[in-house]
Amino acid sequence: MQKASSASQTPHLSPAELSYLYTSLALPGAPIRPDGRSPTQFRPLCAETGILPGTNGSARIGFADGTQAIVGVKAEVERTDSGELSGSSSWVQISVEIPGFRDDDALPVFLSEMMREALGGVDSDTETDTGSETGLKGRLVINRRWHWRLYIDVLLLSQPLSYPLPLLSLTTHLALLSTKLPKLKSQGEEDPFFDDDWEVAQNLYPRHSTTVAPPITLLVVSVGENIIFDPNREEIAVADAVMAVSVTRSEKNSSAKSNAEEGNLALKPNPKLKLLSIRTIDPPSRLTQPGVPDAENATTGDEEVAGVWRPRRGGVKRAVVANMVQLVLGEVGEEVLQGLEGFSVHT
Amino acid sequence: MTDRRRINGPPSGTRPPVFAAGADRPAVRPVRQRQPTELRKLFLKTGLIPSASGSAYLEFEPSASLAAARATPTSLIPPSSALKLTCTVHGPKPLPRSAAYSPNLVLTTHVKYAPFAARQRKGHIRDASERDLGVHLETALRGAIIAERWPKSALEITVTILEAEDDRWYGDAPDAHDASWGMMNVLAGCITAASAAIADARIDCLDLVAGGVAAMVYAEEEEEKGGEEPRGRKLMLDTDPAEHRSIGSACVVAYMPARDEITELWLKGDSGGSHEGLIDGAVDAARGAHGVLAEAVREGLSVTN
Repeated sequence: MQKASSASQTPHLSPAELSYLYTSLALPGAPIRPDGRSPTQFRPLCAETGILPGTNGSARIGFADGTQAIVGVKAEVERTDSGELSGSSSWVQISVEIPGFRDDDALPVFLSEMMREALGGVDSDTETDTGSETGLKGRLVINRRWHWRLYIDVLLLSQPLSYPLPLLSLTTHLALLSTKLPKLKSQGEEDPFFDDDWEVAQNLYPRHSTTVAPPITLLVVSVGENIIFDPNREEIAVADAVMAVSVTRSEKNSSAKSNAEEGNLALKPNPKLKLLSIRTIDPPSRLTQPGVPDAENATTGDEEVAGVWRPRRGGVKRAVVANMVQLVLGEVGEEVLQGLEGFSVHT
Repeated sequence: MTDRRRINGPPSGTRPPVFAAGADRPAVRPVRQRQPTELRKLFLKTGLIPSASGSAYLEFEPSASLAAARATPTSLIPPSSALKLTCTVHGPKPLPRSAAYSPNLVLTTHVKYAPFAARQRKGHIRDASERDLGVHLETALRGAIIAERWPKSALEITVTILEAEDDRWYGDAPDAHDASWGMMNVLAGCITAASAAIADARIDCLDLVAGGVAAMVYAEEEEEKGGEEPRGRKLMLDTDPAEHRSIGSACVVAYMPARDEITELWLKGDSGGSHEGLIDGAVDAARGAHGVLAEAVREGLSVTN
């Protein structure tokens, strides 16, 4: 019945198992994960691109736990009404389909809103002063009167075993990287006219670029003092806080100018990545069954007994959030982007 | 066949005529009169709906330009809007027999805009943005409620938005900035009101959780024309999106001052590396709202006892 929660379904773990998992993940400095990964290590995945011949770009990613997703990107030419050159986020349409969920269930709605937020990009305002667009919507402008409309259809092929957000986001990223649009033959403000040779079609995003890339959304959890990336199902089940952080590459590598404007507020761990959005996700640990300590009634006792599981309460400290964002903007985000860039794209 | 015996209205709805402002009096964008760290005043009252186990009504102070426009109307179109919403809490009540066992309180949140709440009419069926708000609200509240004290029970929280915040100034082109900044203010209001209603329903919580909004706002155009250097960003608390031409990024938090913890964080847009300042600003705004929230809950208790 209670499927509506934003958190994925809680796995059926006993309070003792939850407590064991939590204790090993919360070990100060050196968490022990059930599968032996380091805190920033991702699960192995296999990916391929260009699998759907009827689309402009497509990708499939399969995680080692058996979850798989397919993304297809289709483009259409459409007339621009308002003469807007910076683009509009309504030009990108995303639909997320997850088996076993209705379209209007909380999970698909939340996921598609989150991905739309990253892709729709509210960054047009920042980019107007540099005169170039790194966001997706700016790339869709053909001229003052025409633009591309992009349909991104995300299909999860398997049951959502773990929270499917990173899988869907990474697959969308790859699909957008492999997306090609026909080469424009007309110039300037003419009605668009395209080269019919698919071989000369141009990439929506330039390959092997260090300045632009489609956004990615990473799932980060905190357990005790530790921050853990790419959590699997059991790890999410005991997390204190779950965050989805979206980042993309930033064009402004030497941003001393804008830093001076912001004064000393600015803290740039890595100027090459920029933050697009952060969202809290309801941690499923709040829904778990508490353990009952020996010789104590669970409804009266409130203090924590070591080794006895209690559903998590309260929120997350600001320092933890700052830590998470710094890690994502630092080496981890860069590593993920480079790793995905490494997949060979069919041409 | 058309009905010729009665005088029927037009088959579809009509709109009252709206006359464009003449060239002599162009529409003016409202200007923020408050200091960057000054919050709007809040009206919050609990226990207004007798049939619910807890309820609250929240209203933001109208901005200076809106108040002026109401006092001496020069146009049919109000320059901005002020948030008004009600929240009802039903429960805790037993789960239906058919439901699976739950060791904790099962929380369901519904956020619904009244059809007349925004400038664009909202339908009766909840759309994606309303469902999204519901999920955000649920996350914010679940962290504060001590859920294991009510096993096998359900709590329903319904928020009805009577007047929503604008996403942008009505005179701007619809594509000018298309992020829904008004939604973030609405969410902060929902969190504060729901927290008051939950306290009114006597549900055990860790602390009263308050919502706050902060945004990075670009300087106005006039200043930009003077010098050609890039526009400066400024941190503003409790922003009214109608008052700003472009908002770079905004953040809403649900904050519990007693534990100094955030139960919900939603940050949108490129803050240029200063996200921590943005989050701190939103927390400061939430602290301000918490003062009103605590006072309103105290007032509600003294009335009933």
